[in-house]
Amino acid sequence: MPLPPGSAVDALLARRVLVVTGKGGVGKTSVSLALGVLAARRGMRTLVCETSGADNVCGRFGLTSGGYAVTQLAPDLYSMSIRPEAAIEEYLLRMLRFRKLYEMVFRNRVMAPFIDAVPGLHDLVQLGKVFDLERERPAGLVGRRRAWDLLVIDAPATGHGISMLTAPRGMMRLTRAGPFHDNARDVAALIEDPARTAIVLVSLPEELPVSETTELYGRLGNFQAQVACVVLNAVEAGRLPPTYPSLRPALAAGANPAGMDALALADALLRRVNAQDHARASLARLGPPVLDLPDVDAPVLGPTQLDRLADALGGEAEATR
Amino acid sequence: MTPVYICCGAGGVGKTTSSAGLALAQARAGARVVVLTIDPARRLADALGVRVGNEPSPVLLPPELEAKGSLHALMLDPKETFDRVVSRFAPTPEARDRIYKNHIYQHASANLAGSQEYMAMERLYELAREDHWDCVVLDTPPTHHALDFLAAPDRMANLMDEGVMRWIVLPASRGGWRMLERGSEVLASVLERMVGNSTIADIAEFFTAFQALWDGFRERSIEVRTLLSAPSTKFLLVTTPAPAARAEARLFVEQLRTHRQPLAGFLVNRCLVAPPNPGAPSFGPDPGLAGWAESVAELTALPERQRARVEVQEANIAELVRGTTAPVWRIPDLGSAVHDLGGIIRISGYVGAVVPEWGTGLGGTS
Repeated sequence: MPLPPGSAVDALLARRVLVVTGKGGVGKTSVSLALGVLAARRGMRTLVCETSGADNVCGRFGLTSGGYAVTQLAPDLYSMSIRPEAAIEEYLLRMLRFRKLYEMVFRNRVMAPFIDAVPGLHDLVQLGKVFDLERERPAGLVGRRRAWDLLVIDAPATGHGISMLTAPRGMMRLTRAGPFHDNARDVAALIEDPARTAIVLVSLPEELPVSETTELYGRLGNFQAQVACVVLNAVEAGRLPPTYPSLRPALAAGANPAGMDALALADALLRRVNAQDHARASLARLGPPVLDLPDVDAPVLGPTQLDRLADALGGEAEATR
Repeated sequence: MTPVYICCGAGGVGKTTSSAGLALAQARAGARVVVLTIDPARRLADALGVRVGNEPSPVLLPPELEAKGSLHALMLDPKETFDRVVSRFAPTPEARDRIYKNHIYQHASANLAGSQEYMAMERLYELAREDHWDCVVLDTPPTHHALDFLAAPDRMANLMDEGVMRWIVLPASRGGWRMLERGSEVLASVLERMVGNSTIADIAEFFTAFQALWDGFRERSIEVRTLLSAPSTKFLLVTTPAPAARAEARLFVEQLRTHRQPLAGFLVNRCLVAPPNPGAPSFGPDPGLAGWAESVAELTALPERQRARVEVQEANIAELVRGTTAPVWRIPDLGSAVHDLGGIIRISGYVGAVVPEWGTGLGGTS
């Protein structure tokens, strides 16, 4: 049986930064948003950050994306897209202080491809933005110490996700000294602090995603200790009664052709539910708690569906219905 | 030029298994196929019998498959490929070792932005030039912009551009940052302030060491581009019927059109199949057993629910392929059985031969 989700989620929301990663296509963005919805419901001023360069979040709320600018999605829920180019520009501009100088030094035929190719620079500067947001002071918000209570990072998939987490260390090795090195060290201190930063792994209840999640967990190295939970997304409810398997022969005996089709579909459904239990069990062996999220039969998850996912995460599924 | 099939698609659509299935389908039809896969899950590598390594190893196919051709597979090792490229283009062993020992190279060769894509293209080119293959299938790394990797050789060439070389390398080799262009002294001081002296020295050393290889790189990037734009190189889009995947897939189709690259077909994974028998399900009279009524109620709803999903799926596929004549291969949702050789064999049965005349000696000449 899945763990009661409440306590694991409470511990999760006590952090400052949540890094959500997992294999491509497992629903990282939906899980990031569901966590954001839940935190916002509890009165936390929450910012969900996309890192892929895409702006997928605002559209789900029927809003036009503000891109690199913060957009409000709902009360206490905000989003932005930390586009690497914009983050690099902001970072270098702050270092150089003058746009003219920045353009002369970096936006020319020679330096632009060079900046593009510096290993890990995109990842580092995106995390650098997270670092800034974590420290941001509230402007015009009375009685608040910080602008954001929680930052949810919709991080890149598997391999790239790991590159992002290790980018600060990589830059420290690459540069050895200097302000760049020092900035990387500050960012590493935030990302590697288990009290402030937690990692959420997202998986699907199928064999390959589960084995990739297991592999990913193994490759996380020192970051393993920061994995606060594994979210098992798109779990099929399985509405057939527990006695169904014993009834199946009798049902098949009296079934018409359409009835046989229905039984075949039910068999496939049961196989999926069994595979889910298997998937959950093998993910549970990793150590961190496994949280189930229901399969929501909708093409794109908007506010209604995200509310349902947030219910499930918060363990409020029955309480609010 | 050996025909090349490049499988593109977003992450999580089953690209690696589909590429393997497509390759196997060609092998069954008589072609000597090699599939180059990039960072697959280890289980799949196990299923194919591929070790983590840069050399093609034969996939042992069950005899009952009666495959007329053969299948080899390899897994890209970007670091090893990069090392080999360096070794090939370096004029002397000393030049090669100088790069191998460079601080930046050691930390960057595997993660230099775009280097994985570049190395995939490089390895693909090597395979396409070997004459013991009838076709090469490439499983591309997932990218946000599906055709990004096509630009990888150009990006690498830009990075190694002579202008950059002169700008970064020459001043350092003169022991200072006196440069020809205006503003360069500002740049030098800015960079030094940001990353420190030792890093600047490392970077300069990296580019200086690479200078000797530059001609080789430039020539190779032209050859790779020629291979990619050859009519014998075709693209396949791997996708799922989910509406969320559609926008990205459509963008890919448009990109191909803009680049005048031929689209060889669509592989649509995880397709649902409508139940074959019409009418309402019935299960005979209720024998009064516990759970019978609930079971019947749920069972009765299942075919209709499935049909509704299939309808949405077909509308999505129709929208996806709009305006193209490329074939669509629907691969049914095979559940979790898909990640071993048996699953790949099943996929290959749905794909079929992309060139009917494999094995007649015509395949390689098209």
